[in-house]
Amino acid sequence: MTDEQLPVRADALGKKYPRGWALRECALEVPAGRVVALVGPNGAGKSTFMGLVTGLLRPTTGRIEVFGDTPNGRGMHPAVSYLTQQKPLYPQITVAETLRFGRNSNPGWDQAYAEELVARASVPLTAKVGTLSGGQRTRVALAVALGKRPRMLMLDEPLADLDPLAREVVLRTLLTECRDQGITVLLSSHVLAELEGVCDHLVLLSEGRIQLAGDVTALLDGHVLLVGPLGVPCPAPPASVVDVQTVDGAQVVHAVAHPMPPQHGWRSLRPRLGQLTLAYMRSGGSAEVAA
Amino acid sequence: MTWIVWRLQRPLFITLAAGIVLAVGGALLLRAVMTADIAAAGLADCVREGLQRGVGGACGSRQVMEFQNAWGNRMWVAQVLVLGLPVLVGVFVGAPLFAREYEQGTHALAFTQSVSRTRWMVTKFLVTVLPALTAVVVIQLAVAHWVAAAGELGPQQSGPFTAISFGVAGVSPAAYALCAYTLGMFVGAVSKRTLVGMSLALGAFVVIRFVVDGFRESLGTTTRVTFDDPFERVDKSAGLTVDGGWLTADGKEVTDTSRYDFSDCATKDSTTCYHEKGLVKSFYDIIPADAVGALHLAEASIFVALSAVFVAGTVWAVRRQV
Repeated sequence: MTDEQLPVRADALGKKYPRGWALRECALEVPAGRVVALVGPNGAGKSTFMGLVTGLLRPTTGRIEVFGDTPNGRGMHPAVSYLTQQKPLYPQITVAETLRFGRNSNPGWDQAYAEELVARASVPLTAKVGTLSGGQRTRVALAVALGKRPRMLMLDEPLADLDPLAREVVLRTLLTECRDQGITVLLSSHVLAELEGVCDHLVLLSEGRIQLAGDVTALLDGHVLLVGPLGVPCPAPPASVVDVQTVDGAQVVHAVAHPMPPQHGWRSLRPRLGQLTLAYMRSGGSAEVAA
Repeated sequence: MTWIVWRLQRPLFITLAAGIVLAVGGALLLRAVMTADIAAAGLADCVREGLQRGVGGACGSRQVMEFQNAWGNRMWVAQVLVLGLPVLVGVFVGAPLFAREYEQGTHALAFTQSVSRTRWMVTKFLVTVLPALTAVVVIQLAVAHWVAAAGELGPQQSGPFTAISFGVAGVSPAAYALCAYTLGMFVGAVSKRTLVGMSLALGAFVVIRFVVDGFRESLGTTTRVTFDDPFERVDKSAGLTVDGGWLTADGKEVTDTSRYDFSDCATKDSTTCYHEKGLVKSFYDIIPADAVGALHLAEASIFVALSAVFVAGTVWAVRRQV
């Protein structure tokens, strides 16, 4: 069985462009069957990481394995589907012809399934791809990506050009399909809110380095959100503090969970993923990382 | 894979088919009109015999001048068009082949299917190159068929080695087109920009043609023709003169006569005078007219070899990870 082969395993992975490092010393394992969110601000190295997985880019340092194979320039790993930010499709052909292209160029293609995905999105098969709306285009691109029956689906900012309603529909469709079929999803985004409640594994990139990585539940268990009045010192040990903010006359502190004495006026809450991630992004990686 | 390339290039194939129909139809029509003109002017013999032999006869007449005024330029334009076809193929078919995919980002779609990049590249190359070359060859033959009807009154009178006549005959147009196409494909795949690829393909192909033109003569096998009279000239229709000069009695070649003093020849018979000075024969190294096919093949092999290099370069460019 190939179960022992992780979808992605990176070791000391780095990528340098002429203008500088986009990714440095990245050690990462993407577990199978999970929905992995790759988050980080613009330019953090998300697209670079995905390019390295597809083999479109070559690592400058370190190594990367996709289902046990090293990506190369010959072609993408057959078990991986990749949807880029631009969701490229040939605009001059029809939806049906696009699916035919998918069928011709993928041995494991599931035509009925792809057609069903398109039908569920109410996209007419006879329409030219160039005439579709952004949401419809995304649904067709998704049908091509899923029709290949991949073991891992990689999506780079898949929702960036969609309106809020389309975002929700696309995301729900995506996750239903992937959860049903046990497909590993690697999803990149800089919009944290839309990933909350969606991903169960998080990788936070910042300036080309992994700042935080791990199971979402474990991450939330490992951190606390402390809210207390101004002027009263925070009970958390200073080394464990990720980020301090002042909101509406109160201190809001994200910290790594430690046993700490009760402090008058301070409440300890379970952090939310979006807030915690933002806190890490603001801190720039000064606190010790728990996972 | 073949199907999608065919489907995506459909507008191009329709254009090529329309070009073939127009060119063949036009050439046949013009040939018919021209043949009627020749018959009406009574020049049928001159088409066979040419002007030289007819001087003083019907072929030196006003009718010939009128015919050449009317048809000379038209045939010239048609031949220049055939000469330009390979460049058009390189610029408008070869260069956008990969550059446009990179520009639109659709290469990422192709690269993320289960088809290897090499197969994608080779399929695109083959499916597009065959119709393009077919169009070039068919149009070449149609124009040649028309021009041949003018015989010795047309471009044929200057022999098969002129820059235009050589470039539009034999395997040359196909070889040029293949080279221009693969060159365009290569620079397009490397630059990833359609406009840059098109400009580079145009410039580089013109340079390649120019350079090869410069040493084409040296590719042919020459035959030496000698004359006992140092002033006898080789007939132009015999072939392409590559080298020429005089031979001394012991067979030494003399091409530079500046060290000879011919001042005393003015008063004598020139032939005798040259003989006295040791220049007993004249010689010409020519590529015979009937060897033009071999020269076409020799030159074409250079363009085919360049094409192979460009195809290999395209494979590298497409498979390269940046």
